[in-house]
Amino acid sequence: MITQIFSLRRLLLSFLIFFYAGVLSAEDFAFDLSEIEKKPYSFGGFIEFRPVLFGLDREAAFYRLRYFDQDQKNIRDEYNLGLRLEGSYEKGAAGVYFRTDSTLGYDDQDWNDDTVLGEGYLSLKPATGFSVNAGKRVVPWGKGYAFNPAAFVSRPKDIDDPTEALEGFYLIDADIIKSYDGPLKTLAFTPVILPVTDDLNDDFGEADHLNFAAKLYLLFRDTDLDFMFFTGASRTTRYGFDFSRNIGTNFEVHGEAAWITDFEKQNIDSQGRLTTETADILQALFGIRYLTANDITYIVEYYHNGGGIEVDDAENFYEFVDRAYDRFLAAGDSSQLARAAQLSRGTLAASRPMRDYFYFRASIKEPFDILYVTPAITSIVNLNDQSLSLTPELAYTPITNLDIRLRGAFLTGARQTEFGEKQNDYRLELRVRYYF
Amino acid sequence: MAILYFFLALFLAAPAAAIDANQLLKQVDRNLAPASYEMYRKLINIEPNGRKKEFVLFSVKKGKDKVAALFLSPASDKGRSTLRVEDNMWLYIPNVAKPVRITSLQSVVGGVFNNSDILQLDYADEYDAIKLEDQGKEYLLHLKARTKTVAYDQLRMWVDKEKVSPTRIECLTEASMLIKTLYFKDIKDFGAGIVRPAVVETDSPLYKGFKSVMMFANVRVRDFPDEVFTLTFMPKLESLRQGQ
Repeated sequence: MITQIFSLRRLLLSFLIFFYAGVLSAEDFAFDLSEIEKKPYSFGGFIEFRPVLFGLDREAAFYRLRYFDQDQKNIRDEYNLGLRLEGSYEKGAAGVYFRTDSTLGYDDQDWNDDTVLGEGYLSLKPATGFSVNAGKRVVPWGKGYAFNPAAFVSRPKDIDDPTEALEGFYLIDADIIKSYDGPLKTLAFTPVILPVTDDLNDDFGEADHLNFAAKLYLLFRDTDLDFMFFTGASRTTRYGFDFSRNIGTNFEVHGEAAWITDFEKQNIDSQGRLTTETADILQALFGIRYLTANDITYIVEYYHNGGGIEVDDAENFYEFVDRAYDRFLAAGDSSQLARAAQLSRGTLAASRPMRDYFYFRASIKEPFDILYVTPAITSIVNLNDQSLSLTPELAYTPITNLDIRLRGAFLTGARQTEFGEKQNDYRLELRVRYYF
Repeated sequence: MAILYFFLALFLAAPAAAIDANQLLKQVDRNLAPASYEMYRKLINIEPNGRKKEFVLFSVKKGKDKVAALFLSPASDKGRSTLRVEDNMWLYIPNVAKPVRITSLQSVVGGVFNNSDILQLDYADEYDAIKLEDQGKEYLLHLKARTKTVAYDQLRMWVDKEKVSPTRIECLTEASMLIKTLYFKDIKDFGAGIVRPAVVETDSPLYKGFKSVMMFANVRVRDFPDEVFTLTFMPKLESLRQGQ
């Protein structure tokens, strides 16, 4: 009994030490110089636990495409463990850097695991205004928060988590920077060479080609301006432009546009046949970031995707899925559903596949004097079919390096609309992330 | 005639006081830091219950309009950097994306310090000294923002006459509402003639019970190429750090 009490006390003590490790007298300040010691190497990352609960919509097209031959269910849960490792080593003007993401997930009674090299490259900085990098790298272009049509040499963002790290491509890039006095303060040129073979960057585009891209950046009259260009046989030639400017101490405006030549626009007829027509298209966005006096930050963006699927084509697709599902129920023939699933890839299963979107996010920093708590709400509206997603979330950092985020995503829309035909009606997600 | 002399004296005296006040402000700036420097800072946000969150930053500044800061800790913020060129401010978060514009009233660290406190330029470049009061051991400088883009419209700065160093600064809105107060403490010799407060504490009626502290270390004169203060260089700020 005494041993049990002793163990209980020790457990309680450990608990208190854990939660009050950061509690010190307000006057107990110290700045230890070992905290600023320069080391040639660095190593860090985070470990993450992310359970997700999905509320399924059994009438939705994408539910039927995925679960047509399985036991019907209303909810699905998955449990994800993640580990990010990143490090660097510098010697003189040279340095190496890597970032890996490993995941272990349990989903639909199956385990899955994956490890991805997000970035891994060699960097040379012979001068302050000149550097060259070679390896797998993210080269993020564009000023949009949720959409980046002018990011010609990087993967698209996850619009549900636009601030998450992306996986890079294997490439060689350089930065040449010049500063000036006068209205033009900075000029920076970034050329990129991106090869595509069957083994390298094979998901970028057509294989066995060397592609070239470049960005010219100017800080001109307090406005960020970028001009981008891409050419190569793996993708069609495209031109980009973006800008960003603060027009007050609490107000920023930005915009981005891409002109894509010979884009293959996709059409779907009522029989589920895919046809393409080649045309030059415009993808563009305009957005603002605004901070109110009571610390609410609004991010609002309008995005136009000139190559997106039209409403009639989307309706044709959903009707085709309905007929394919009816045929499966009547005769057990799943061939049409398989064709519909194939058809959805690259069209309506892609991220933001249609023409016009409105993105809205409002976050309030530390409301009611609760430090390190940030509630936010995000909405993505498909302006063409009036369907939308609504995502409230609560982020909390109870102790240094521990981030906790709870969010729900609720999808609403009529039948034959983008968000109305997603496989989920809602999603609840907890993310606990500890940085080291 | 006496009335004429009175108005003439008043007319001439006012600009003379303003000139002295602005010269004093410039001297305060130089005593706080060299025109171009590198320094390390620790920011501590303290909650009413004593719990605290700390950030360590490496900062560099050149001339009157360029300043950048790199987060060295905690691990969740390591590698982030902020840049200011005149009134333009950006934040770079590693792995996430390109640098994004931020505004001076936002705070990348939470707590009472905002972005303009972290990326501070010389006071004399952002403010006009419009009035100087002699309060015995201290001067009281009344400062007015030169443009609408400056984070605080007015400052009241108490300056130690002997050390020509601020002891307290009140930050006010255009309507003279107090936003925060900065307290300068612990005068320290950083070497090479740099003698300045090593600790700046701040509190705010908008954050009752909360306090933020900024501590300074290794303040050194150092010149940098202009190219350091560009968006493209933000991910590379770590390469400027030298062995301590």
